[in-house]
Amino acid sequence: MSAVTQTIPVTPPQFDQDNLSDNPRERAPLVLGGLDFGGVTETVASINERKTPLAWYIAFAMSLGLLSLLGITVGYLVTTGVGVWGNNQPVGWAFDIVNFVFWVGIGHAGTLISAILFLFRQKWRTSINRFAEAMTIFAVMCAGIFPALHVGRPWLAYWLFPLPNQMNMWPQFRSPLLWDVFAVSTYASVSALFWYVGMIPDLATFRDRATNKFKQAIYGVFALGWNGSSRHWHRFERAYLLLAALATPLVLSVHSVVSFDFATSQVPGWHTTVFPPYFVAGAVFGGFAMVLTLAIPARQFFGLKNLITRRHIDNMAKVLLGTGMIVAYAYGVEFYIAWYGKNEFEQFHFMNRIFGPYKWAWGIMTFCNVVAPQLFWSKKLRNNLAVVMFVAMCVNIGMWFERFVIIVISLHRDFLPSSWWMYAPTWVDLGMLAGSFGLFFTMFLLFCRFLPMVAMAEVKSVMPESHAHQPHGAGQHHNTQRFDYQPDERANVPPMKPGEARQAIRDWTGI
Amino acid sequence: MVAQIEKEFPGYTPEHISGTSRRSFMKLMGASMALAGLTLSGCRRWPEERLVPQTSNPEGRIPGLSEIYATVMEMNGVGHGLLAVSYQGRPIKVEGNPLHPMVRVNERHGSADAFAQASVLELYDPDRARGFYVREGNTYRASSVAAFREAAGTMFGGNGAGVLVISETSNSPTVLDMKKRFMSKFPQAKWVEWEPISNDNERVATQMAFGQVLRPLLKLDQADVVFSLDADLLGMHPAHTRYAADWASRRKSADQNRTMNRVYMAESQFSITGAVADARLGIRPSRAKLIITALAERLGVGGIKAAGTLEGNEQKFVEAAAADLKAAGNKAVITAGAHLAPDVQAVSFAINAALGATGNTVVLLPVPDADRPTHADGIKVAADALKSGNVKTLLIIGGNPAYDAPAELDLAKLIGGVTNSVHVSIYRNETSLAAHWNVPKAHYLEAWGDARGYDGTLSVAQPLIEPLFGGVSTIEVLAMLTGDQVTAGHDLVRRTIEPLLGGNDKELAFRRMMHDGVLAESAAKPVQVAAKPSPPPSPAVPGEGGSTLEVRFFADPSVFDGRYANSGWLQETPDPLTKLTWDNAALFSPKDAKALGINGGDMVKITVDGQSLEIAAFVQPGQPVGVIGLPLGYGRGAAGNVGSGLGFNTYKIRTSNTLFAAAGAQVSKLNTRYKLVTTQNDYILNMDHIGREGAEERIGAKHESGSVVRETTLAQYKQNPRAAHPKAHGNLNLQLFDPPSHFNDPHAWGMAVDMSTCIGCNACVVACVSENNIPVVGKPEVAEHRQMHWIRIDRYFKGTAEDPEPEIAFQPMLCVHCENAPCEQVCPVAATVHDSEGLNTMVYNRCIGTRYCSNNCPYKVRRFNYFDWHSLDPRGGRFPKPWLGIPDQQQVESIDAIKQMVFNPDVTVRMRGVMEKCTYCVQRIENVKIKAKNDHLAGKRDSELVQDGEVLTACQQACPTQAITFGNINDKNAWVTQLHQNPRSYSVLEELNTRPRTKFLAKLRNPNEALAEGHGAGEGKAALTPPPSGPGEGKKGTSFEGVNA
Repeated sequence: MSAVTQTIPVTPPQFDQDNLSDNPRERAPLVLGGLDFGGVTETVASINERKTPLAWYIAFAMSLGLLSLLGITVGYLVTTGVGVWGNNQPVGWAFDIVNFVFWVGIGHAGTLISAILFLFRQKWRTSINRFAEAMTIFAVMCAGIFPALHVGRPWLAYWLFPLPNQMNMWPQFRSPLLWDVFAVSTYASVSALFWYVGMIPDLATFRDRATNKFKQAIYGVFALGWNGSSRHWHRFERAYLLLAALATPLVLSVHSVVSFDFATSQVPGWHTTVFPPYFVAGAVFGGFAMVLTLAIPARQFFGLKNLITRRHIDNMAKVLLGTGMIVAYAYGVEFYIAWYGKNEFEQFHFMNRIFGPYKWAWGIMTFCNVVAPQLFWSKKLRNNLAVVMFVAMCVNIGMWFERFVIIVISLHRDFLPSSWWMYAPTWVDLGMLAGSFGLFFTMFLLFCRFLPMVAMAEVKSVMPESHAHQPHGAGQHHNTQRFDYQPDERANVPPMKPGEARQAIRDWTGI
Repeated sequence: MVAQIEKEFPGYTPEHISGTSRRSFMKLMGASMALAGLTLSGCRRWPEERLVPQTSNPEGRIPGLSEIYATVMEMNGVGHGLLAVSYQGRPIKVEGNPLHPMVRVNERHGSADAFAQASVLELYDPDRARGFYVREGNTYRASSVAAFREAAGTMFGGNGAGVLVISETSNSPTVLDMKKRFMSKFPQAKWVEWEPISNDNERVATQMAFGQVLRPLLKLDQADVVFSLDADLLGMHPAHTRYAADWASRRKSADQNRTMNRVYMAESQFSITGAVADARLGIRPSRAKLIITALAERLGVGGIKAAGTLEGNEQKFVEAAAADLKAAGNKAVITAGAHLAPDVQAVSFAINAALGATGNTVVLLPVPDADRPTHADGIKVAADALKSGNVKTLLIIGGNPAYDAPAELDLAKLIGGVTNSVHVSIYRNETSLAAHWNVPKAHYLEAWGDARGYDGTLSVAQPLIEPLFGGVSTIEVLAMLTGDQVTAGHDLVRRTIEPLLGGNDKELAFRRMMHDGVLAESAAKPVQVAAKPSPPPSPAVPGEGGSTLEVRFFADPSVFDGRYANSGWLQETPDPLTKLTWDNAALFSPKDAKALGINGGDMVKITVDGQSLEIAAFVQPGQPVGVIGLPLGYGRGAAGNVGSGLGFNTYKIRTSNTLFAAAGAQVSKLNTRYKLVTTQNDYILNMDHIGREGAEERIGAKHESGSVVRETTLAQYKQNPRAAHPKAHGNLNLQLFDPPSHFNDPHAWGMAVDMSTCIGCNACVVACVSENNIPVVGKPEVAEHRQMHWIRIDRYFKGTAEDPEPEIAFQPMLCVHCENAPCEQVCPVAATVHDSEGLNTMVYNRCIGTRYCSNNCPYKVRRFNYFDWHSLDPRGGRFPKPWLGIPDQQQVESIDAIKQMVFNPDVTVRMRGVMEKCTYCVQRIENVKIKAKNDHLAGKRDSELVQDGEVLTACQQACPTQAITFGNINDKNAWVTQLHQNPRSYSVLEELNTRPRTKFLAKLRNPNEALAEGHGAGEGKAALTPPPSGPGEGKKGTSFEGVNA
């Protein structure tokens, strides 16, 4: 084994080779570059072990700058009042809830990839699920800020939780906002758990490759004493499967529940039964766009082209096209029902969407979400990374505008014309939107630096080597061991004795 | 580390601290938390209280209950009888006095208009004049009453030669008495009066027509047909409350006996009277004479010939009106605006006489101060005297002539040129800053006084509070200057009133008068005069037939002539028609604006007679074509923190000869824009195509009923009582689920809003602000559409942008208290819930401010505290300063101490971040319920149930037309229940199944079919059935008789 790892150069050769073959007789390889298990480990782990590149620092500084903008705007908001936003009388919700729904939507792809695609045995998910899940968690963090801060008295936002109190006052369970609280917090905790559990073998790898005691101790703590025994593997796989089963309904429930905020209300444009499936499809759509937005640069900069291959990009583009078509269909259905339902207010609302004062927002949404993904009917365009990136960016923008269209256009002209009014964001609105991206990218960059970006163990499980007996195996057959967990000799740090990790952390931190 | 601990805490064993066991840690933490909870006052939310022991409680006062005193507010020489509500010695609200004939609405309540309602805010305005000031060089130094008395001794001496008094107008017997005493003490002094908004042309006109100065009082409750030439009877007329109540009684009669009055309005400035008129004609001011003479000619009034030829629509209008007036005979009223030229008004008196209306629907009353010069003459006399340099001492009582006198007189400069000048004023305004001495005037709620109502009814003003800022009343100042033996306000008033009191026991009679607020039978007795034939009008009509633009000056509905500029309540109250707040603007008709290339918000330069003014333009549907409306009262330089620098000073181009209108205006568009802020769009002009169509579907096209705003005509109503509901949905009672409760235990509160009688006067809006501690948010926040009014008057235009006479519908909108409330279902913290009697209540303490309820409210009546409005300056910047400290800060510390005094203690002062809305005045309901229960327990009444009419909401109480009715819909005889069963009644947005407790009554119009496009005459006549001879049939069961007049 050691011979294998030693022959792999520190930076593996990059092959952006075509694995897009549609030949049904041949299973297209999911890992390229002739990587074997050790190669995979090396490819992924070396990202974190190399010296931090300057580009990372630049990106991190920019993200941190935006994050501090978030801090400033939040501080201003809390000390002054939510009036620092542009929200007004008919438009009680605007950027706050637009951003919330946007980020929650982004957070969908991760769990979809990790849970649903796992259950459906979509093996190509393994290369992207780790950072898609990370993206999910960070997106949910961003999402969580807005409902907590959008309330008039944010210091009382905890009243949304069913906490026992001296007045025996419980939250009002008929309110979809309360369902939101449960749905999003459940989703956040299950996603985080799922992410973490899936990472344990990889954390153990990091621990074992640690070059100093501190890293070893920290990764060791989080690796929960993983030693790669088959009992561990057995428990791990059971747990992972169960969590996947648990997370799967959440993928559907979260955005359905978020959509109830709108669907159960009276407002024309919100009061629609199509919302739950429409929102879930939209969320997957937007989430995949964000995964692409992150994956394409990441595979470039971090040398992951052998793991996140062209085929992965192609698959995601297809998902984007498919969910985009569902979203487009939902847009159409809304109009059809408005026409068919003969409800004067709803008919007006949809006319106002297209021809009213916010027609530009509707135009952006429609172009980005309906027109742009149509490029993906062409395989050639799907394989053009620039085009894919363009469409993914379109969808990111389009999905944000979809929420803007639903929330702001619906509210700004509802029933009584006397209350019709326009909404315009203030610098605080814009600052908080930008700041939430700062939070997202700050977290994501930290993740790239300190955690395994690709699920090494899982990738290995879908390599032909893992399936020595399967007839179509295309790789080498010299390794019949299912997973290659081996303490790494290069690390030169002997395994820790009991109590040593605690001491190592103390020594490093001075605590 | 151990060593450090030892050093820091000598006497402790370090191990004791550092080696903490879990158990001892918990003990320590528990104790610290308990201590923190007990001692850290910052964690507490309940307000700080300081005990002030009162060793002797005033007799008859029950702590916590408010007291009501009758008083009177004089405005422009007319007293408005009021009841002031005093809570623990501070007046917090005023209401109309039902015993005062000019403000009486029914036996339970009178109406106090928006200005009167806002007067309590004026009382507690921190910007009021505080103490005596005397000028030294270019600055003012605080002085004292003693110093002023001493200085006055030298300023006012001898026979008064060189003394000039410019006074605001007053019909107060005591003021007139003091004036007489002043003039007898200083016989050589000159006394003139000046008011920028004056009815003095009416005095000249009556002199012309009847040979004596008289005041016409209309009996609109008797009038079948009203023809008003530019008279804003329901809006700015001094008797508007009486007129509105009387007018409304003849609108409501449609339900009983299917009769209604019909109002014709030819006006040169769009007014609320025009907005509710059945036929309206926009005219240029210069056409007024033509219209009235043509009408006189059509009616065959002795010898009057039309002063020109009528244009097409004018002719139609005049002929239709003439036919109706002729048919109505002595049940008709012709009235001309009191500002119009005397000869025009004289013609209207002649027509009234010819129709037999004089003495029936128009009575003429004597005026107490008939001998004074008119305001226009007076101010010219004063200016001449000042110019001549003979004035040694100038006394200015009230008013603000430096700001509002005719522009060409340049009075500010002239006043500044007098060495000894004294200004007695409630604010230190522009005139004060030109004067030498500033004497703080007491507010009417702080001082003794008296006043006569429009009909001459005498009332006494009682002080409810010591002068907050050491002010003195006009009569006290005059007593001081004349060296009167009597100096106290009470004694001065008593001295004047006593001879007028009947009976032997003057003390009792005076007390009775103070209690009632009016002296019984004190109204002026009508003068029986034979109308002299009107003098032949001068044939030349300036500007007639010309196409030049004319300007028309008028009192602003928010600030009147400028005197209320510093009232945040009034500034924030939207103009009834333009819905502008915090500004005035030049009003252009859409046609003129198009011709001039002007858009709303463009700055324009208006030049009249060489005087020019730069002002923002506002395009107003319904504004008469060719007339630029210029509201007065803005552009104040020294109004105070709230009012200074708002809007544009239109007095700049108003001269003695053009006090109300001027022809030959030149308009040029400037290349700058100004942000005007309205609370509502107009839908027909400034809206995209799609919005206009959507709005029209709900509001209805002209002459049509919409889904939200419903209306019909009297003729159709007679044929089909449900005519206003052509689009009504079928039976909505068929429901999948039973309602959770009937919300009717023991009462079921409900409201009815009659759109037929709403005139959009804003009295309810300001009353609600006053009653419910509603904050002022300021112009930048209104621009964000964050105004906080719990009741708003939705003003809808019907028609097209080009239509010179669009129809208007007013729909007061406030929380309708849905039984099936959309807001309640979506609140995650149960902060808005239903009570057993059907109130949709707000629990402010529980509200965290998600605003979901507001989003889901189809009526958009919920209001959100985006900031801590009460503690902010309404003129502050767009974003208030960050407000560090505990967010639920003690409001008693964060809100200005003087502003706090106006708060109604029965209503929570809301903090930032909470939602609020109309509560149906739950505090009033509870007060009545508690009293009823106590009385019931004490055996004073049969039932503890609240009887009809016992609870009045603030808006209902202020409404002069009884457009708002509130009560218990469990009570089948309650007036509100009857209105709910009225065929005009409907629930707004009933198809949403919100089951609102507030129902709206469709608007009824009574148009003359002869004026309708494409219809022949004849149909309209049918509407003119004889007036009701007695109480209406079918409504006898009501236990609240007064409602129906």
